Amino acid sequence: MKRSVVLICLLLGACSSAPTRLPPVIDGRTGEAVPPPTTTPDDSVAPGVIVTPLPPPDAPPNGAVVALLDQAEDYHRAGDSNNEAATIERALRIDTRNAALWHRLAAVRLEQGRPQEAEQLALKSNALAGDNRLLLVSNWQLVARARWSLNDSDGARQAEQRVRDLGG
Amino acid sequence: MPRKKSKSRRRSPRRRARKNRSLPWGRLLITLLVLLTGYVAFLDFQVYRKFEGHRWTLPARVYARPLELYSGLALNATQFATELKALGYRFVSRPRRPGEVARNASRFQLISRAFDFWDGREASRPLRVSFDASRVTRLQDDRSGADVALARLDPLEIGSIHTARQEDRILVRLDEVPATLVKALIAVEDRGFYRHWGISPRSVARAMWVNLRSGRVVQGGSTLTQQLVKNFFLSNRRSLGRKLNEAIMALLIERRYAKDEILEAYLNEVYLAQDGQRAIHGFGLGSRFLFQRPLDELTTAQMALLVGMVKGPSYYDPRRHPQRARERRNLVLQVMLEQGIIDRAAYQKARNEGLGLVTPEAGTSKTFPAFLDLVRRQLRRDYNESDLVGEGLRIFTTLDPQVQWALQKALDRRITPLLQQQPELQGAGLVTHSANGEVLALAGGRQAGYAGFNRALDIQRQIGSLIKPAIYLSALEQPQRYNLATLLDDSPLQYEQSGKLWSPGNYDQRYHGQVMLYQALAHSYNVATARLGLELGVPRVIDTLRRLGLEKPLNPYPSLFLGATDMSLIQVTRLYLGFASGGFQLPLRSIREVLDSQGKPLQRYDLSVHRVIDPAPAYLISTALQKVVGEGTARALNQRFSPQLGLAGKTGTTNDLRDSWFAGFDGDKLGVVWIGRDDNQPMGLTGASGAMQVWADLYREAGATPQQLLKPDTVTWHGIDPASGGLADRGCANTVQLPFIETGALPPPAPCAGRSLPDWLPGWLR
Repeated sequence: MKRSVVLICLLLGACSSAPTRLPPVIDGRTGEAVPPPTTTPDDSVAPGVIVTPLPPPDAPPNGAVVALLDQAEDYHRAGDSNNEAATIERALRIDTRNAALWHRLAAVRLEQGRPQEAEQLALKSNALAGDNRLLLVSNWQLVARARWSLNDSDGARQAEQRVRDLGG
Repeated sequence: MPRKKSKSRRRSPRRRARKNRSLPWGRLLITLLVLLTGYVAFLDFQVYRKFEGHRWTLPARVYARPLELYSGLALNATQFATELKALGYRFVSRPRRPGEVARNASRFQLISRAFDFWDGREASRPLRVSFDASRVTRLQDDRSGADVALARLDPLEIGSIHTARQEDRILVRLDEVPATLVKALIAVEDRGFYRHWGISPRSVARAMWVNLRSGRVVQGGSTLTQQLVKNFFLSNRRSLGRKLNEAIMALLIERRYAKDEILEAYLNEVYLAQDGQRAIHGFGLGSRFLFQRPLDELTTAQMALLVGMVKGPSYYDPRRHPQRARERRNLVLQVMLEQGIIDRAAYQKARNEGLGLVTPEAGTSKTFPAFLDLVRRQLRRDYNESDLVGEGLRIFTTLDPQVQWALQKALDRRITPLLQQQPELQGAGLVTHSANGEVLALAGGRQAGYAGFNRALDIQRQIGSLIKPAIYLSALEQPQRYNLATLLDDSPLQYEQSGKLWSPGNYDQRYHGQVMLYQALAHSYNVATARLGLELGVPRVIDTLRRLGLEKPLNPYPSLFLGATDMSLIQVTRLYLGFASGGFQLPLRSIREVLDSQGKPLQRYDLSVHRVIDPAPAYLISTALQKVVGEGTARALNQRFSPQLGLAGKTGTTNDLRDSWFAGFDGDKLGVVWIGRDDNQPMGLTGASGAMQVWADLYREAGATPQQLLKPDTVTWHGIDPASGGLADRGCANTVQLPFIETGALPPPAPCAGRSLPDWLPGWLR
């Protein structure tokens, strides 16, 4: 139960911080740089234009993904980690940039005793997590656990330092 | 394991015969009897073996990815209709049964088919799907109107892997076969089926009478049971001895098995059609083969046609002899009417129906031999050939039919008009998902559906400038030395190595002086790249290529910097997945899972990722590859795509225009296209004029997803003065925004910078 609450928090958190940054746009027809917006003191908003088909940042989490996470949770409760992972993978095909899903898959792999894969999946989650601090902390904690079980103590300590840096 | 029926065996005839031994008959008679008994026992064993074992030999079936429907899915109404057509959905005014769909402009109402997936059965359900220009806007239950979160359609079957005998069938249980079809079959082929013991003396007598009168064998009095025997042993001889054998075996089958078991075996065994090398057995596959729909969706007329074909599959082949087949079908309908199986209204309706065949050419191809080739190679690594056939495995692949059709169309559209001047022109393409490494589409040549030389897997060609991002990445991974604005020297270069002089030139045969690093990549300047490579050293570049997953041997010469190495489309894909995924290496996967005949997963090919480029340089190189499209050699793409999509890629052209390459990616997929000739002769196309055009057609058709690169915390954007490559400020008129790694070196201030008055002055003074 607790796990699913955390999960939903992560999911919503990841969605609410959906990426809004875009690379700068060069107008290729003229070969000239589109003049950057006059107010770009904050480098986190790179110059550019929001592309229409993207979901708005406050869009609710994808219903299909939520349904699949419910199903994954059922498999988890039934102790069927293979089907749990396959269901999360199915959700990831629908929403490949959902950092919480990558984290969730990492957690399953760690439980399955596959720390190497778990570590890498958590790093992938981090690459998509943006400024979702809760998720970043969870990922580095997971990376630390994975590295400890791989006897990579230096790497594990580095990951723990990241957790501390994030105030986790 | 072959599916075995658990049935208690009855006492064999051999054991029964032993009792007779003590009888006081003559020696000869005993010998005869023993021989005969032995022979019957032999036949009995054969029948038993066929019935229990061979009967269930099933090829492995291969499926495309199932279409997952949900609100927000990027798919338009045309693409959806194409997919439904390929799946054999019938377009009707109001859907009543599974496999039927009604379309009203951009709104579809359908009843999906049930299908057994690895996670259980996806039930048939009524759905309403609404589209706008590019996506599913709403998915509802068509009965209640309630929103549906997710629905999965049955997947397109794209092939099967056969036994040596090349028999193919889809197994059906008796209760899955429409009663009308079964009744019609019995009425036409063997009216006494439920009464006889395997042979029917009355029909034999009738047949003999007919045959005697005409002086040759024109009619068979075979029961369904005898026909089953004939199908089991695949003989068309009509000798008396053969007939006798059949009769004995028919009796033996009837003694061992119940009528319904015999009927079920017959329905699955009967030979119905030939598809090239493949023999179509059983009504389940026959229905798919002719009408592209499951048995329970057939009309009365279609059932009658199938039943009619039993008598002579090639003589009544409805594709080759439509008139003959139609007459035969109507005869069957007549019998059905006479026997009370259908009423007069149904009879009249069915008589007037067309044959309703699906012609293999109609619609969009459902054969993807080049992709299947990849699947087969992957399977062969993990299974013995013998495990793959006969066990009824189901193989779920990653093929996305929408992308595959788009790829084939794009290759065809670009290459066909050039064949007049270049009859030898060929092409190949490979599209993968950049987040999970799934192969979405693969084309092995310019012709769709042509099983031949698979260029996507088997050609190895010089890759030219496609290699350059690996060199620039090697530089950007040293942020103290290089950034995207670092000035590179693009002036004449002569490099001597072991007595040989190497002096690369640019494609436009000009030199460009001092250029920023990102510009040298965007415009694919050879000399600047070669100089950068020499600064970095060959070993460092090779190390980068290895990290990105390239395993082949590489020549440690500077010519490597300009792509003087042969690669396959798979290898190029692996290399570029590293960029497209934001710095991860992903194993390419063409299979998601393999299920056994019971639906249990035998094997899964799990998603895995491995970070090979740190987030900051990965971000920088992807940005540079966006500049290739933004202002470089691929800028023509901006005429066909919104610059806001953030497309990224790289052109590649080899000496004398022998190979035209393009590798490009949007927000979710990577496409690699090659055009050239099999004999490696010049063909007159550059990367931008050949392969990139195919790529553009492909992404127009399949749809492009915006690419948002996620900026790591360690990267900051700065304005750069393009004239000097220096750091700009407000005093500079035109600036280019570029990302820099915070811990690395920044360019010096530009000459135009520092001229503006300091920030602390009041605004009216500045």
